[in-house]
Amino acid sequence: MGTINSAMALISGALDADQVALNVTSNNVANASNQSYTREVPNWSENQPIYINGMAQGTGVTVTGGVSQRDRVLNQRLDQQQQLSASSTSLLAALTTLQSSFTPASSSTSTGNIGNDITSFFDAYTQLESSPTSNPLRQSVLSSATALAGDISSTAASLNAQQSSLDQSATTVVAQVNALTASLAQVTQQIQSLSPNQDAGTLEDQRQSDLSQLSQLIGINQITTENNGLSVTTTGGQLLASEGASFPITSGSVNGVTHFFLGATDITSALASGGGQLGGLLTARDQSIPSTLASLDQLAYGISTQVNTVNNAGTDLDGDNGNAGNIFNAPTQVAGSAAAMAVVLTDPNKIAAAGLGQGTGDDSNALAAANLATQGIINGQTPSEFYSNLVSTLGAVVSETTTQNTALTASVTQLQTQVSSLSGVSLDDEASNLEEFQRSYQAASQTFTILNSIMASALNLGVETAVS
Amino acid sequence: MRVDPFYVVNLSSSLDQTQASEEQLTQELSSGLRVTSIGDDPVAAAQNVQLLNTIQQDDSFTQTTSLAQGMLQVTDSALGSVVTQLNQAISKADQANNGTLNSSDLKAISNELAGIRDEVLSLANTNYQGQYVFGGSQTGTAPFTLNNTTTPATVSYNGDSDVNTLVSPTGQSIQLNLPGNQVFTSSTANVLGTLNNLVADYASGTAGSGVADTAALTTALNFVSQQRVTIDNSITRLNDDSSAATEEATQLTAVQTNLMQADIPGVSTQLSLVQSQQSALINVIASLGQGSLFDKLED
Repeated sequence: MGTINSAMALISGALDADQVALNVTSNNVANASNQSYTREVPNWSENQPIYINGMAQGTGVTVTGGVSQRDRVLNQRLDQQQQLSASSTSLLAALTTLQSSFTPASSSTSTGNIGNDITSFFDAYTQLESSPTSNPLRQSVLSSATALAGDISSTAASLNAQQSSLDQSATTVVAQVNALTASLAQVTQQIQSLSPNQDAGTLEDQRQSDLSQLSQLIGINQITTENNGLSVTTTGGQLLASEGASFPITSGSVNGVTHFFLGATDITSALASGGGQLGGLLTARDQSIPSTLASLDQLAYGISTQVNTVNNAGTDLDGDNGNAGNIFNAPTQVAGSAAAMAVVLTDPNKIAAAGLGQGTGDDSNALAAANLATQGIINGQTPSEFYSNLVSTLGAVVSETTTQNTALTASVTQLQTQVSSLSGVSLDDEASNLEEFQRSYQAASQTFTILNSIMASALNLGVETAVS
Repeated sequence: MRVDPFYVVNLSSSLDQTQASEEQLTQELSSGLRVTSIGDDPVAAAQNVQLLNTIQQDDSFTQTTSLAQGMLQVTDSALGSVVTQLNQAISKADQANNGTLNSSDLKAISNELAGIRDEVLSLANTNYQGQYVFGGSQTGTAPFTLNNTTTPATVSYNGDSDVNTLVSPTGQSIQLNLPGNQVFTSSTANVLGTLNNLVADYASGTAGSGVADTAALTTALNFVSQQRVTIDNSITRLNDDSSAATEEATQLTAVQTNLMQADIPGVSTQLSLVQSQQSALINVIASLGQGSLFDKLED
C-alpha cells in the first residue's frame, strides 16, 4: 500500500530526474556550435515497481545521463568519402597551378607561349630560305631560338619549384598525421578503460573528431577491436595506431624526393593512391608533374638534338663545313633537357643555312631545318603536334579531376547532412525540450507542495494551523 | 524524420558556389576569352595550338614571299634587259651579214656588239642587296669575268649550279634563282660565248662565220626567254601562295576566335542569372537566420 511518504520520495526523485534532463539540454545548447559534438538525449527509465500485497506500485523515474546520438557506420562512411574528396581537392589545387604554366595563347602573336615559340622558331628558318645570307634573318633565327629555349626552361623550372613545394607540404601533413594518431591512441586507451561496453559519449566525440581530421589528411581503414578499442591502418594496410599504441610515419630523402616510411617499409606510393590531402599532394608530386615534365623534356631534347644535328650538317656564313657548332645546349639525356635548354650560339653567322660544301648563298640546310617542323621528330609527332598533345593530355586530367571533385564534394555534403540530421544539435528541439522539462519540473514541485499539505493534514488530524 | 539543423550552413556553401561562377563569368567577360585555362576545355586548347601554328606559318610565309619577290623581280628584269640587248645584237649582226657593208663598217659593228656583250655581262653580274643573283650558291663573288686577251674573248663562270627553293606551307617548292651557267654559258645555248664569237668575227673587217654565229645567238635568245618563264612562274606561284596563305590565315583566325572567345551575350545572360540566384540565396539565408523557438519561450 502506498504511503504519502513514498509519494513524496517518488516525486523528489522526479525532480532529480528533471534536473538531470535539464542539465543534458543545457549541455546540448552550450555545444550547439561545436562541430565535433554529438547531440545527447536524456535517458529516462522507469524505476522498478514494488509489489505490495500483489499490487504493483510505481516508484517514479530516473535519468541516467545523456546518450550520444551517433551512427558509427554513417560516420565511417563520411570519413571514407572525405578521404577521397580531400585527395581530389588537393590534387586539383596542384593541377590548377600546373596548368597555369600552359595557359592557351589568345592569338598567334602572343608571347611567352611554348606553342607559339616552336612555330616562330621554324618560321624564322623558312624566312631564312628566301635570303640565306641576310644578317637580320639570321638574328631572327637566333632570337626566336632564345625565346623558345627560355620559355621551355622557365616552365621546367617552375614545375620543379612546384614539385618541391608539394614535397614540403606533404612533410607538414605527415607531421599532423603523427600528432593525430598519437592523440587517437591515447583517447582509445581511455575509452577502453572507462567505457569498454558502451558508447563513451564525450570521449567518443573526441575520437570521432580525430578520425574525421585524420580522414582529411590521409587515407585510413578503421578496425574496431574488443573493449571498444580501435585500430587504424593506412588504406595500404600498415598500422598507424593500435588501441593504446601509435606508430609515427617517418620521412627520408630518396633521390632528392621525400619518401615516407612505416618501420622500414616505404609506403610513399601506397600513400599516393590512399587518399586524403596527402594522397592528392603525392599524386601531383609523383605523377602529374613528373609526367608533364617528362613530355617537356622529350620536346626539348627532340628540338635541341635535331636542330643541332642539322646545323652541323651544313655550311655557315664563315665557310665552316659540317662543323658550324651547336645552336642549343646539347643535352646528354632526355631527363632534365627542358630545364637545361639554352641557346649556346651567339654569332648569327654560325647558323648553317647552306648545304654541305655549297656556297653561302645556298638555302638547302635552312630548308632542312625548317622541314623539322613538319617531321615526326618527337615520338613520331611534329613538335607542334607533340605540344598540342601535351596540352590536351594535361587539360583532360584537370577537367576530369574537376568533375570528380565536384561529385565527391556533393557526396560529402550529402553524408554530412545525414550525420548532422542524426547528431547535430537543433536549437528548436532543445527549446521545446527545455519547455517540456520545465513544465515537468513545475508539475513535480507543485505535486510536492500539495503532498506536503496533505502530510500536514495527516499530522494535525484535521486540526488546522498546528503544523503547516 | 529529423532534419539537418545546420542546413543554413550548407546554404552558405551554395553561396560560395554562385560567387565562384560569378567570378568565372566576370573573368570571361573582362578577358573576352572562353577558355582561360587548358582544363576549361582541353580539346579546344589543343586545337588552339594547331590553329595558331598554321596561322603563324601563314603570316610568316606572307612576309617571306615579299622578301623573295624582291629578288625574283630583279632577276626577271635583268633577264628582260638581256632579251632586249640580244635582239639588238641580232639586228646588228643581220646588218653585218647582208654583205653590203665595207670592212670599217663591220669593225664598227664589232665594237657595238662588244658594247652589247659588256652590257649583257654586267646584267649577268646583277646583284640584289649585295648578293649576286646568277651565282648559284656563290652569291658573294661576281659570277662572270671576261678575258679579253684571247680571240675570241672568253668568259669564265665563278658560280655553281645550285638552285635555291622556298617551301610554301602547303609543301610546294618554289624555285628562287637561276644559276648563271644555265642561262648565259650553257653548252647548247651559250649567250656570252656566241656574243664573243660575233665580236671576233667582224673585228677583222670580214663577215667570217657571222651567219652561223648569228643563228646560234637566235637560239640562245630563245633559250634565255624560256629560262625567264621559270622565274615568271615562280613570281606567279609566290603571289598565289601568298594570297592563299593570307586567305587561310584570315579564315583560321575566324575559326580560332570562334573557338576561344567568350559568347558575350550568353555570358552576360548567365551572369545576370547567377546574380539573381545569389541575391535570392542571401535573402533566404537572412530570413532563415531569424526566428527560433527560443524567441518564444517565456520564463
